[in-house]
Amino acid sequence: MTSKYLVYLTHNLQVYRRLVGVQLRSQLAYRGQFALDTLSTFVVTGLEFASLALVFSRFEQIQGWTLAEVAFLYGLVEMAFGIMDLVFAGFDPHVFGDRVRLGSFDQMLLRPINLTVQVFGSDLTLRRLGKITVGVGIFSYALSNATIVWSVPKLLYVVVTGVSLILFFGALFIAGATITFWTVNSVEALNIFTYGGSYMMSYPMHIYQTWLRRFFTFIVPAAFLNYYPALYVLDKPDPFNLPRVMQFVAPGVGIAMFLLALMFWRYGISKYQSTGT
Amino acid sequence: MRLFVELATRAFKRALRYRAAALAGLATNFFFGLLNASILVALLGERSNVAGFDAQGVITYTGVSQALIAYLSMFGSYELMTSVYTGEVASDLLKPMHLLRYYLAQDFGHACAQFLLRGITIMAIYELMFDMVYPQGVFAWLALLVALLFAWGISFVWRFLVNLSSFWSPNAKGFGRLAFLSATFFSGMLMPLDFFPDWVQRICYFTPFPSMLYTVSSIYLNRITPEQMLQALVMQVVWIFVLVGVCQWVLTRGVRRLVIVGG
Repeated sequence: MTSKYLVYLTHNLQVYRRLVGVQLRSQLAYRGQFALDTLSTFVVTGLEFASLALVFSRFEQIQGWTLAEVAFLYGLVEMAFGIMDLVFAGFDPHVFGDRVRLGSFDQMLLRPINLTVQVFGSDLTLRRLGKITVGVGIFSYALSNATIVWSVPKLLYVVVTGVSLILFFGALFIAGATITFWTVNSVEALNIFTYGGSYMMSYPMHIYQTWLRRFFTFIVPAAFLNYYPALYVLDKPDPFNLPRVMQFVAPGVGIAMFLLALMFWRYGISKYQSTGT
Repeated sequence: MRLFVELATRAFKRALRYRAAALAGLATNFFFGLLNASILVALLGERSNVAGFDAQGVITYTGVSQALIAYLSMFGSYELMTSVYTGEVASDLLKPMHLLRYYLAQDFGHACAQFLLRGITIMAIYELMFDMVYPQGVFAWLALLVALLFAWGISFVWRFLVNLSSFWSPNAKGFGRLAFLSATFFSGMLMPLDFFPDWVQRICYFTPFPSMLYTVSSIYLNRITPEQMLQALVMQVVWIFVLVGVCQWVLTRGVRRLVIVGG
């Protein structure tokens, strides 16, 4: 029984490697374009953070958090979102919506290969390396400038939080892609959850209005994936006095969101009707 | 002129047809405006005034910025380069109208539609949610209207210029993304320029981008005196002339080396 699963798994991995290999070769074939795209992702992400860093010379802190402390949240989000965007690019609602609309998703249905593996392998946007690099830079700035009393559990938990964040953002992409089965087009509003969500998570949760904060704590549990872990790592007090255990639920929330999104995706596929194009 | 009006009207009607997209765009603009407002208000903290901005001021500033995004196509437009890459530009060039004017007319119609769909509406939603600042006096309102028109002019010529890179490079899309999104920083869309250190502000004012967005919000927020308003308007006109000049020069050279592959 287990060996059968193992064969299935290695087969899927091989398929994934091949599909992604094709993507990589085609992207690297146009070196000029690849370099330019990566550079522009780098500059755009960098300028966004620079605009914040530059005004900090005037303000020095935002509701009790220094620039280095905000950079902890900001860098973690940029890295996690960048890595997710690289790996889950096939599920990007904009790209996937086009696939559904133009009918190339129907071709995937016809192939005797696991559908999810195919979508994963359908794109791997290398230019996101530009965003990830900036994220690493911002996060390093945070680690070297914020006062953090390090311990082994903290170090491990930072890594766990990062992975959980990737899963969480991946869940948003998968759920967004699934929605396009019904809406076919007009996925603009989903930007609020993906790009809006990650933008919001780059800042400490207590700067937002109560209703907004509650929404992103209890309905979309974003706060547990970086704000609460950051409170633990940076030894900051919790202004909302939630039980301290909430600082450690990031992996649970990340995995749960990811599994829920996968279930929604399966459900979407079972209900899928082609547009006929 | 009749041709211009006709083209603009058609583009206007075309843009009005995408109501679902406009609604989604509105929701996104409002959400990002709300986040920006939260961040700026949190930065102000206990201080009642920083560089001439109070809480009411920064909230209005985020509203004006978000209201201008669609009107000024702050994230860029790619029509001309698409036309170059598909070869359609050949028929564009045969039209009894200068290429620049042909695109100008359509962009004007598109901008007017966006101004109604996503400009006025964002301000109305903000008005319902927040306590806002308004331009004081008839002169400020007039200056605002003129500045809005000139701001669109700068935006159009700048975007046209970036699009012209497609006459030379097959990577104009990537180049455009870099150019358009970098401009948001210098235009004051990410942060009010007055919050930046002086040396950064000086760099920003070497570019046409503050004249695109920051001028409009400065007038709206009564941050500048009537004399400064006039200066800002003159500055906008100067930028339009400079950019149109560069555009003409580049366009002539681009058209000369353009090769359309038949098919």
